[in-house]
Amino acid sequence: MSYQTQQFYTSRRRAPAYGSAGSWNRNQNTVAFVSSVRLGPVAHTVLIALMITVLGLVYLTQATRATSYDYEAQKIDNQIADLSTKKSDLEVENARLTALETVQKSKVAKAMTAPAATDYTR
Amino acid sequence: MQLLSYQRGSRAKVLAALLLGVMAIFVAKLFYLQIIKHSDYVAEANAEQVKPLIIPAKRGLIYAMDGSNTVPLVINQTVYTMFADPLTVTEPDKVLNVIREVAGGNLRPHPEDLLNRRDTRYQILGTKLTREQAEKIKSQNLRGIGFQEESQRVYPEGSLAAQTLGFVNAAGQGQYGVEEALNDRLTGHDGLLKSVTDVSGVPLTIGNQNINKPAQDGDNIALTIDRNIQAYVERALAAGLKRSGATNGSVLVMDPQTGKVMAMANLPTYDPSNYGNAKDASVFQNATISTPYEAGSVVKSLTVSTGLDKGVITPSSTFYNKGIIRVDDTTIQNADTSEALGTQTMQTALTDSLNTGMVTIAERLGDDSHITKESRDTIYNYFHDRFKLGQLTGIELAGESPGIIIAPGSVQGNAVRYSNMVFGQGMDITMLQMTSAFSSIINGGVYYTPTVVAGTVGGDGGLTPSDPKPFTRVVQAKTSKDIKRMLEIDRHDNGAIDPAGYHVGGKTGTSQALINGRYSFTQTVGTYIGFGGDKTARYVIMVQVSGKGKNLQGAHDASPIFGNISNWMLRYLKIAPKG
Repeated sequence: MSYQTQQFYTSRRRAPAYGSAGSWNRNQNTVAFVSSVRLGPVAHTVLIALMITVLGLVYLTQATRATSYDYEAQKIDNQIADLSTKKSDLEVENARLTALETVQKSKVAKAMTAPAATDYTR
Repeated sequence: MQLLSYQRGSRAKVLAALLLGVMAIFVAKLFYLQIIKHSDYVAEANAEQVKPLIIPAKRGLIYAMDGSNTVPLVINQTVYTMFADPLTVTEPDKVLNVIREVAGGNLRPHPEDLLNRRDTRYQILGTKLTREQAEKIKSQNLRGIGFQEESQRVYPEGSLAAQTLGFVNAAGQGQYGVEEALNDRLTGHDGLLKSVTDVSGVPLTIGNQNINKPAQDGDNIALTIDRNIQAYVERALAAGLKRSGATNGSVLVMDPQTGKVMAMANLPTYDPSNYGNAKDASVFQNATISTPYEAGSVVKSLTVSTGLDKGVITPSSTFYNKGIIRVDDTTIQNADTSEALGTQTMQTALTDSLNTGMVTIAERLGDDSHITKESRDTIYNYFHDRFKLGQLTGIELAGESPGIIIAPGSVQGNAVRYSNMVFGQGMDITMLQMTSAFSSIINGGVYYTPTVVAGTVGGDGGLTPSDPKPFTRVVQAKTSKDIKRMLEIDRHDNGAIDPAGYHVGGKTGTSQALINGRYSFTQTVGTYIGFGGDKTARYVIMVQVSGKGKNLQGAHDASPIFGNISNWMLRYLKIAPKG
């Protein structure tokens, strides 16, 4: 396999192109680039294999990353479940502390006295 | 380019042929595995990797009212069952020490024997451990000890309104009360998580057959039961039973303007968190809806209302009371045949609870001297069709009984039957039916379908009220006004003393108990039904007391319980007295 390293730039001012011989119009490109690197079939095959490999690696990286997110999500789910259980326990405790029997037996309730008289707003 | 050529029979050529052959075998095998057996292996892989996980729906909570706020009556708590694999436990002494110290009260008897068993790999060591207990034991890293999470119902108010609530059995099904009647609404729907999992069971997002259907939790239901009224009623009933010597009693408190039940109490009762300890399954029954009985003279309020509404009597209409009255071949007599003899008003017939007065009304609904078919049709129309006696009310509670009202067209629906029905015998009705009917005659004449459900409680704690229940006009407003006044006079003239400035009225009832199909003369059921409030009746209270071999009277045994609750209700509802 051989590579030509020289590059050729052809000025359109000098080359006859686009109809009128030797003329060029305003706003037309005046330089054309032609790559002198030419790849053979083996190079193409290798490049395609490399691209497939890279794409495969990218896929594997993403799949692994997605799976790692699953574990993080699972951790968060477990935390949510744990906090939910704690919240339920607190709700149970709150309900017990505000139950009628608890309130009636409290020091505050025992210290209360009956009103001597009741007035009504009319 | 010049191609290299193999010599015939060269080793390279043989090797190439061999490799080609091996490759062909590989390709064929891969074709078989990946193409032909593709679906089989996919199914096998899915069976191993894809795990369906049920996401359990949380059972709905049950709330009561506390004024206009909701308070929890039934809530859920996560508890843990502790189990052991005896073959894996390596330090039984340490295990015993730790679990005895942390969960002593929750352990099954003789845990050392359970740990020494070698014929099983699953032994339950303790049940209903709290999260803290489970965490403490887990922190000890005891080999062979595991925990199973489960949800249990918790009753912060103890046995309050136990028969109205019911309970949830070991299979998770609601039994009795609201738990059974609204089981579907309370249960919700389990969710499903189906996905590929790793070896630890952690769901992964890979795969294209994942399902994530969230659980739909059950409804949180708020009852119309007021916690404070219910608690007071239960205490008043217990005190009343102790005073009278009765063994059984029930009280029902209703808002007559809406049909909402404010309290339902029955004694004896039970602890729903330990329902298995109940010695008699009858304590699970809510007698106010499931035990129809001959309510006795309280039904006279409905008979008088029927007469007033049909225009055959007024409160001051008179009749001649002989103490007895003849219906076909049967003699109907008053409880006291010598009481209030002579010409009496209908007010006196109600106040003195004269059976003869009620039979007179039935006769006046006919041809004025007999209980004709027309009379019976009218009574049936009012009692059954309008007041809804003898049929299910549709209240949201399990175990409601319809009771029995004999139709006039049947053989047993004769004049004698109806002459008994007008003073509360010869038909079986529930306290709920009677309270609903009574509410309709004192609230202006509208029958409200009774209910115990106020609405649903959302995640933010807000109450969404239920749709209003149907209601129908059953008697004229004038009838309602007249009977309300007559009931106030009845209560006052019978010696009840209520706080001044309020409108309180009611009617006693004493009925003979039916034992083996015969009326007992030694066992009676005492009943009282009444209302209270300002110009508008704000509550109706029905009380019933009974006991085996007990002679219980409505006036002496049930009325004091009514009075106790009524006086408290006037204060609790902050009803201002007149004047």
